[in-house]
Amino acid sequence: MRPFTYTAARTVDEALGHPATYLAGGTTLVDLMKLEVLTPEHVVDITALPLRGVRADARGLTIGAMERMSDVAGHDLVAGPYPLLAEALRQSASPQIRNMATIGGNLLQRTRCGYFRDPLTPCNKREPGSGCPAVQGHNRGHAILGTSEACVATHASDLAVALTALDAGLTLRGAGGTRTVRLADFYRLPGGTPHLENGLRPGELVTAVTVPALPWARRSAYVKVRDRQSYEFALVSAAVAVNVTGGVIRAARVAAGGVGTRPWRLPSVERELEGRPMNQATFEAAVRHAADGARPLAHNRFKAALLRRTIVRALVRLAG
Amino acid sequence: MADTLNRIDARTKVTGAAKYAADHNLPRLVYGHLITSSIGRGRIVSMDLTAARAAGGVLEIYTHEHPLTFHGPPPGIAIIFSEARSPLADANVHYHGQIIGLVVAETLEQARDAAALVKVGYQAQPPKSSFEEAKKHPAPPPVTPLPLGKEIIQLAPGVTDIDAALAASEVRLEATYDLPPRHHAMMEPHAAVAVWQDGKLTLHSGTQGPVAHAEEMAVALGIATADVHVISPYVGGAFGGKAFTWAPSMLAAAAARALDRPVKVVTGREQLFTVTGHRAASSQTFGLGAGRDGRLKAIKHFTTSQSIVEDPGYRTTPKFYESPNIHIRLRVTPDMNLPTATIMRAPGDETGSFALESAMDELSVLLGIDPIELRMRNYRQVSMEGLPYSGKHLDECYRVGAARFGWARRGEPGTVKDGDWLIGLGMASSILGAGRAPTVVRVAFRPNGTATVGNATSDAGTGMWTVMAMTGARALNLPVARIKPALGDSRLPVAGPNDQYGAVGSAATATVTPAILVAAREAIGKLVEHATTAPGSPFLGADDVRYVEGRVVGKGTSLTFGELLTRTGTTEVAAEGTTAPPDAGHAFASFAAHFCEVRVNRWTREVRLSRFTTVVDAGTIINEKTARGQITGGVLFGLAAAMAEEVRVEGATGRISNANLADYLLPVNADTVEMDVHFLDHPDPAISATGARGIGELGTVGAGAAYANAVFNATGVRVRSLPVTADKLLP
Repeated sequence: MRPFTYTAARTVDEALGHPATYLAGGTTLVDLMKLEVLTPEHVVDITALPLRGVRADARGLTIGAMERMSDVAGHDLVAGPYPLLAEALRQSASPQIRNMATIGGNLLQRTRCGYFRDPLTPCNKREPGSGCPAVQGHNRGHAILGTSEACVATHASDLAVALTALDAGLTLRGAGGTRTVRLADFYRLPGGTPHLENGLRPGELVTAVTVPALPWARRSAYVKVRDRQSYEFALVSAAVAVNVTGGVIRAARVAAGGVGTRPWRLPSVERELEGRPMNQATFEAAVRHAADGARPLAHNRFKAALLRRTIVRALVRLAG
Repeated sequence: MADTLNRIDARTKVTGAAKYAADHNLPRLVYGHLITSSIGRGRIVSMDLTAARAAGGVLEIYTHEHPLTFHGPPPGIAIIFSEARSPLADANVHYHGQIIGLVVAETLEQARDAAALVKVGYQAQPPKSSFEEAKKHPAPPPVTPLPLGKEIIQLAPGVTDIDAALAASEVRLEATYDLPPRHHAMMEPHAAVAVWQDGKLTLHSGTQGPVAHAEEMAVALGIATADVHVISPYVGGAFGGKAFTWAPSMLAAAAARALDRPVKVVTGREQLFTVTGHRAASSQTFGLGAGRDGRLKAIKHFTTSQSIVEDPGYRTTPKFYESPNIHIRLRVTPDMNLPTATIMRAPGDETGSFALESAMDELSVLLGIDPIELRMRNYRQVSMEGLPYSGKHLDECYRVGAARFGWARRGEPGTVKDGDWLIGLGMASSILGAGRAPTVVRVAFRPNGTATVGNATSDAGTGMWTVMAMTGARALNLPVARIKPALGDSRLPVAGPNDQYGAVGSAATATVTPAILVAAREAIGKLVEHATTAPGSPFLGADDVRYVEGRVVGKGTSLTFGELLTRTGTTEVAAEGTTAPPDAGHAFASFAAHFCEVRVNRWTREVRLSRFTTVVDAGTIINEKTARGQITGGVLFGLAAAMAEEVRVEGATGRISNANLADYLLPVNADTVEMDVHFLDHPDPAISATGARGIGELGTVGAGAAYANAVFNATGVRVRSLPVTADKLLP
């Protein structure tokens, strides 16, 4: 770890006062600082900031960015109305990490690509222009959608996938004031600039996550397929919500993780579901084109089929 | 016996009071940090140490240009199972992650930070690191004093070769089973704290065999073995990875000598994957030929592996099934640019049992014969050398296990469902050669009323502290609390070269416990003699003195031995007891039958372990509680190979892409279940007076095959390449 200065901010304005790397739960930042993947000069501790609370009103749900993952997963305003959020959180990381990590930090976590995490290898995300060894290297865990020549790393957050399905937004505060942005617009595709991962401006803080009211999200699920049953990232995951009346799907939300360079909403699957009966035949037909446009690599060809099957599994569960 | 007792060292460990090697912080201690290569093959052309030297607290940086002196090569069999080349010997890089330097600084952080400032220039060459490529051009194994790599050909009269025997069989199976490299991934990294005084070394270093470790260190340092004192009372997991000496201990000791200060070296987690040993990848091709009745007519077991260490054919196939025609062969892929291969839990046995017990399952499908019935029809009654087994109740293991597990409920592959989950049952046998080395144990009565029981074995989490205390208590008729075991110290007794490796081959309990009985008998004799001859003893001259449950009785008097020694002013009355080798007229092996149930998701094909039963025939069980822990841990170790574990080596660079515990997947608690472990507990008087054979690795052998066989039963998909991940099961 390289030397750095440390300041603990007492107010949001104080935190915004100087350009710095923000320390919340520390479960990504400290890890990457130890590996010297990140070498910030100034670290501002924001754990004392009052960006807390889970509130619901007619417009929807608001979650303070400094809420802990474990607290949100068990919150009554989340677990009942939005099962997919609670399930995504509970299947993330380990209990110890969920007790430390914050909601805002979770959404800003860096990729788990092993090349990004090893400073002795090239990586366009870590060191722009240095190259991407993952394309020819070990890429079983990498993305098949939204990739570029420069980067094939997945976005690692489960929560972000569930929030993307819910069309959530972020409240951002910077020196110039407060703004809101849809999560779907916040994350960027890597293109030629994989080091630019999102729309956060220098000095800006995520202060809250907002989820538009969606009463039928009570019927939702998050299915995560992984190589072991805890403390492991998704091979493929699916966040699904359906509005079913009279045995017919009136509306659906579908997003996937583990396959994209950012949380991957699947509007075509949603359209294929809408207006059709809530049964297995519908599901299997609807996912047929879920992985269209995928660019599989040597070790992750299975992800296209697994993506289709994971969505079907989630829908079958909601039908049961 | 089958008592059950909590570990006597449990409280020490869970409270953190147990001092492991790296926990020793001595006055004037300094810290070493390893620098490792970032290429897989080539030469170091420059090392710029300017920035590192200028960093705070740095005392010295050792490199090939400014090396520490080592005398080598490793003695005895260590040259086969550990790294023959001394660290920092020259500018050559043989594998990615090779040690190329050691920074010693006043603090751990200073050493680590300085190491990161060293700039290395290389002349790189393309490494030969892909086993997939290398296995296409294998070579005969090197000749060593060990039987590993030895070709075994047994043909019935008139049979020209194994292929002829296979061709003449009514039913034939040929299949290849591929296992990736694995790492021991023990909790405690290799760590050493070295202190010199008057030309003698004291080394705190976790090891399975303190005496062998001392000898290997002495050879490396060019001093007498008697001048090395290895102290290793607690070992945080070893699994073969701490059976031999690795460079971090050698560098710590050599740097401590050069700097005249105590030096601590703790190997980083990612460094462990390369600077210590690993289980080599292997590719095994089985040919099985059988009659329609299921009787095996031919077994062909050809293996290719990085080194002779992993010889699954030799280790497994001669022990399992009878067949008139057997051909076992090993080929190796020498000179690969990979870290050093060494033994890992059930070396060869685990690897071989996965392939053999998978192949038997495949054969049972071809024949339409139940897997247990197929195994019974080929049940080995005598060893391949023609010796009867000292005790073999594997048939009872099958029978009892099948009943406990509900084997009869097994259905045709892919037919049993519970909602969206496919249910599969599988089984496999475990057979593990049961060795026992002659050894020496020292038992001493003390004036404070305790008795020590000492042997230079180790407890790598196996329960040896407790087993020694229990056996000592039984032999001396004392409460367990009054027995003070002593182990993990090179100054404690061993019998000789075969015994100095300590806790290896699942033989420690079988080795040490009978010697405790002998030593206890000798010590009681010495105590009685002391009572009748020592000045101040009230028993002087008596001829009716006896030892009864901690008391010396005779002449109308009764004293505890503590009281007696206090009266005679004696610090101890001690004796050593030595065991002879086991009876040469028998073959010795431990046996188990594993039964596994898995659930496989119909859609996404994840496998979940749902039940596991294992029935064990290993002679006397000394402590059922620690034995259960050994079997459960051993089974999970074997299941882990089937579920998740895999060292991923980049063929083009030789770099391991998952050298950390987040990416090198080991099963977590959520992946396992409460296992049903049942001991038959038939004592084996032929192996020793305690009747105990080995158990630890017995759980590991065959466990992976039981899992893969269950997956086949659930899905109809046969996975011959581990680990069994969801992607390999997608239709």
